[in-house]
Order: sequence, then structure tokens, then C-alpha cells
Amino acid sequence: MAHPTQLGFQDAASPVMEELLHFHDHALMIVFMISTLVLYIIVAMVTTKLTNKYILDSQEIEIIWTVLPALILILIALPSLRILYLMDEINDPHLTIKAIGHQWYWSYEYTDYEELGFDSYMIPTQDLASGQFRLLDTDHRMVVPIESPIRMLISAEDVLHSWAVPSLGVKMDAVPGRLNQAAFIASRPGVFYGQCSEICGANHSFMPIVVEAVPLEHFEKWSSLMLEDA
Amino acid sequence: VNRFLISFCHLQLIPLFIFIGGGAGMSMAYLARLGLRNPDVCWDRKNNPEPWNKLGPTDQYKFYTVNMDYSKLKKDRPDF
Repeated sequence: MAHPTQLGFQDAASPVMEELLHFHDHALMIVFMISTLVLYIIVAMVTTKLTNKYILDSQEIEIIWTVLPALILILIALPSLRILYLMDEINDPHLTIKAIGHQWYWSYEYTDYEELGFDSYMIPTQDLASGQFRLLDTDHRMVVPIESPIRMLISAEDVLHSWAVPSLGVKMDAVPGRLNQAAFIASRPGVFYGQCSEICGANHSFMPIVVEAVPLEHFEKWSSLMLEDA
Repeated sequence: VNRFLISFCHLQLIPLFIFIGGGAGMSMAYLARLGLRNPDVCWDRKNNPEPWNKLGPTDQYKFYTVNMDYSKLKKDRPDF
């Protein structure tokens, strides 16, 4: 989850998010370099005593400041497109989970083998146990096995919602009457938090998403327990 | 002849033509690819009304694949 005063991304928990992080570093570095150059030029222009009123043209600098931005844009575009296409690939998922948005909770269905479904409500602030996160923790977590490609089918029952988990690099709108597909791989075990990302009414800020990635044996134990309870 | 050629061709504009022509060419080529190759697009309502129902498991419809080897996929769905 994000810590207070955090400015950057949360640590990546999936390969796609790692790619996005590195691309963001790359693009941000380019942006910093351009901004520093521009700031330097502004300061130099403002503080110089040199003035020449008769400069008409200069081919060399014109060439440089046409070709260089074109090159920089290509350098930004190529990794960006690569990640865009990478995010669209869904390589043989091991598990399909349906996340359905309601007002104001998420419900998850694991229907590959048995019919496992449960709702995930936010824990109200007055009921928080010690160590739980305010406005982020839920009563039931979406448990997934690590290092397995997971296909998410995301939809909604009533109004628009959006299923987002920043550390996994996933955000997909939940549209009523439509099934949206997203995929991710949880590279490491952990608990990953997200929040509903499409305004959906009074409690839009109070329907978080918690994904718990565990080794496969733990996932099998958890799903058997959940099936018994249901 | 040389002076005529230079004044006629405006040699200084050639880089502009290269960049703009290249950019416009690439965008038009991608649009054409989308229009003609994308299975979501239907041109012929009589003979090929719903091309999105005729997708093969090993065909690549995207422009670029990073990690995906489409030839390894199998068709695990019933025929439509």
C-alpha cells in the first residue's frame, strides 16, 4: 500500500508493473533533462549582457533542435509501445477470477473448478483490529497463487466501478453489462491494496480491493476452507 | 542547371519532407492495417458479416508481440 507522503509508485508486484516503473523512470529522466536544459537557457538569456540584434538564421542549430526532439520522441515511443503490446498479451492463464463491482463492495467468483464466490466489504473504521489499515482492509481478501498468470474478468452489477491494484499494475473498468478482461502475474507473495477507481456513489471511496498472493499450497488450502464455509 | 535545381527543390526542406512524410506515411499505413486486417472491422456485410467470429488460435492480429508465441497456442474452445 502507499505510505504517507509517498510520491512515486508502489513497489512492483508483477512483471508488467516492473516494466511500467522502469519506463516511467526512463521518461521522467528525459523530462528532467529537458526541463533542466530549458531552465538553464532561460536563466542564461535573462542574465546575459550579450545582445546581437542581427542574427537572421543559423542552419546548424535549427537542424539540431529539430532532429534531437524527434529522436527523443522516438526513444520514448518505442518502449512505450512495447509495454502497451506486452500488457495486451494474455499467456495461457492458470486461473480465472471474476470481480464484480456492486454499490459498495466487490464480489469475487472462482468458478474454474468449484463454485466459490464471496463478497468483500471494507472493514468499518470502528471495527478495525490493531494492525489493519483504515479504509483499505476488507473482510475477505482475494487470494491468488504466486507466479501464476491470472485472468481477471471484471464487470459490475449496477453502476460503473473500476478494479485497480497499483502494485500489480492493473486497472480495468467494471461496466455493467460488459465483461472486461485483465491479466496479471503476482511475482512475489504479499498483500496488495487497491481502491475502486470510478465514481460510483456515496461510498465510492469505501470499497477497497485486497489481493493476497500466497504459494499454491496455501491457495489450495484457503479455497477448500472457503468452500466449506460457504 | 545546378542553381536551377537548388532553387526548384529547396534542398533545405528535404529533412522536413523526410520527417513529415515518414510520420504521415507510418500513421496512414497503421490506419490502413487496422482498417483492413483488424477482425473487428466488417467491410462486406453479405459475404463476411462477422469476421470477429472467425479467429484462429494461432493467428496474430496485433501489430507487435513482445513475449507471445502464437504458434504454440491450441484451440480449447468449442467451434462456434
